[in-house]
Amino acid sequence: MSRTDMSSELEKAAGEPLLSIEKKLIAWSLGIGLVLLVLLAAITHFLPPSS
Amino acid sequence: MSVIETVSRRAPAGASDPAPWISEDWLSVVIGLFIFMLALAVLANVDLIGWVVTTSVWSNFRQALGTASKLYAPLGGAGALLATFFSLLVILSAAAAALNAGVRRFALAFTAVFWIAYASWVVGSYANFAAVTAADLQKFGISWSLRLTNEGGFIFALLAGLIIANFFPRFAETIKEAIRPELYIKIAIVILGGFFAVTAAGKLNLASSLLLRGVAAIIEAYLIYWAVVYFVARKWFGFNREWAAPLASGISICGVSAAIATGGAIRARPIIPVLVSSLVVVFAVVEVLILPLLAQTFLWQEPLVAAAWIGLAIKTDGAAVAGGGITESLILAKSAAEGVTYQPGWMLGTTATVKVFIDMFIGIWAFILGYIWTNYINVTKDKATAGEIWQRFPKFILGFVVTFLVGLYLALGTPSDVAAKVPAAMSEANTFRVIFFILTFFSIGVLSNFKKLWQEGIGKLAAVYVISLFGFVIWVGLLISWLFFSGVKPPLAS
Repeated sequence: MSRTDMSSELEKAAGEPLLSIEKKLIAWSLGIGLVLLVLLAAITHFLPPSS
Repeated sequence: MSVIETVSRRAPAGASDPAPWISEDWLSVVIGLFIFMLALAVLANVDLIGWVVTTSVWSNFRQALGTASKLYAPLGGAGALLATFFSLLVILSAAAAALNAGVRRFALAFTAVFWIAYASWVVGSYANFAAVTAADLQKFGISWSLRLTNEGGFIFALLAGLIIANFFPRFAETIKEAIRPELYIKIAIVILGGFFAVTAAGKLNLASSLLLRGVAAIIEAYLIYWAVVYFVARKWFGFNREWAAPLASGISICGVSAAIATGGAIRARPIIPVLVSSLVVVFAVVEVLILPLLAQTFLWQEPLVAAAWIGLAIKTDGAAVAGGGITESLILAKSAAEGVTYQPGWMLGTTATVKVFIDMFIGIWAFILGYIWTNYINVTKDKATAGEIWQRFPKFILGFVVTFLVGLYLALGTPSDVAAKVPAAMSEANTFRVIFFILTFFSIGVLSNFKKLWQEGIGKLAAVYVISLFGFVIWVGLLISWLFFSGVKPPLAS
């Protein structure tokens, strides 16, 4: 596919609705990420940085 | 020439292209380890690479260049520069041959690349650009300076590359064979492992603490950034899945490598991650010109926050790690001017660690996406396999880990007379690391032909990038960096 075709494709690409699996991927990623960040923040809060 | 054509080298080759017997990743490990081993000869009182050229801040050009080791001082600056050029020409031409590139073509191109890039570095070290403190200005007999430190030379190399890309595109095309920013930065990162080990050896508790805090970067990049950028690309901009997944990886994780790994994992057409990668490089150029200066202005009192932020916000290895070097230099200078002299190496090490941690999981994330895509979205017989985790694992990280562990062992686990020589050995290797940084910055600049990229019609991709990067990634990166690194300071220089 030529680059001109590619850029046209970008402009015209039909949106695909979000599938259930995609919504789960986004939701679980964000959820696990936020929980882990809170946990890690708590752990590092109690660990002295020791400079 | 644009990023697209150069990054295309990394996309799956056509059936008629002979595959090189070694990948660029493994080659960077080999070359990095080779230089590292040569440097270690100092431990046996044999100085094999002390002839490598160094550049000091200068007002008198005769004093600009020198050798890394006093042992080779009779060689003089010009001799050191020639020796450095020829040694890199031989090593990298051999690398080009291993990658099935035309050796003669590469050698000619590299000659131009090396001399222009290094000249930019020398210009950047001119006192009126680089001198920092009042004492320095007095020493050089100047009344003003841009105070960029001599690492501002990286910006000069980048600008030289940008000028060539945008005003001399035909010349850019002739040197494209030697425009390999990924190879150069990976070699540099392998060497950096040993240098950082020596730095960390003096403060192991702090180093361990930084490693733990660096885990936050992994969580942020993969689980938070990726999910948000994917949602923005799919829902707000209407990208289909084939585009959105590599785009999310390129913006969130690590530009070129992550976009290509993701594209391969979800079985996207190869041109898609290549176009995404081109954007990443362009925006990394913009970021590296702006963020270190912002970090110096607003974060100089929290140097490790600044360092982590650079690693989280700039999305290619080359620009991020080298940007960390510039940031360290700028913040060290400002802090010193305020009476606080930090030990060098910690900020650069933090940025590199953040970036390396993020890179380590590319293979795993690509496998997860590949598993989801091949089993739930585009169900085919071509399923993702666990073997892809290793296939996509950035091998240069192994080199970084090896040099780090060896350096740490030599610094802490050997008799004191041996351990005392390790910093000098790593300092010589580090000089090569700086040269590879220079080559990286110059190469990134040469890849950034803004006009040609715009003609490719990537406006919509760029829009997602701008909104994601400047609306979310940079600020959440700053928040996370603050949350995990504020109050943690590098040790003071003794």
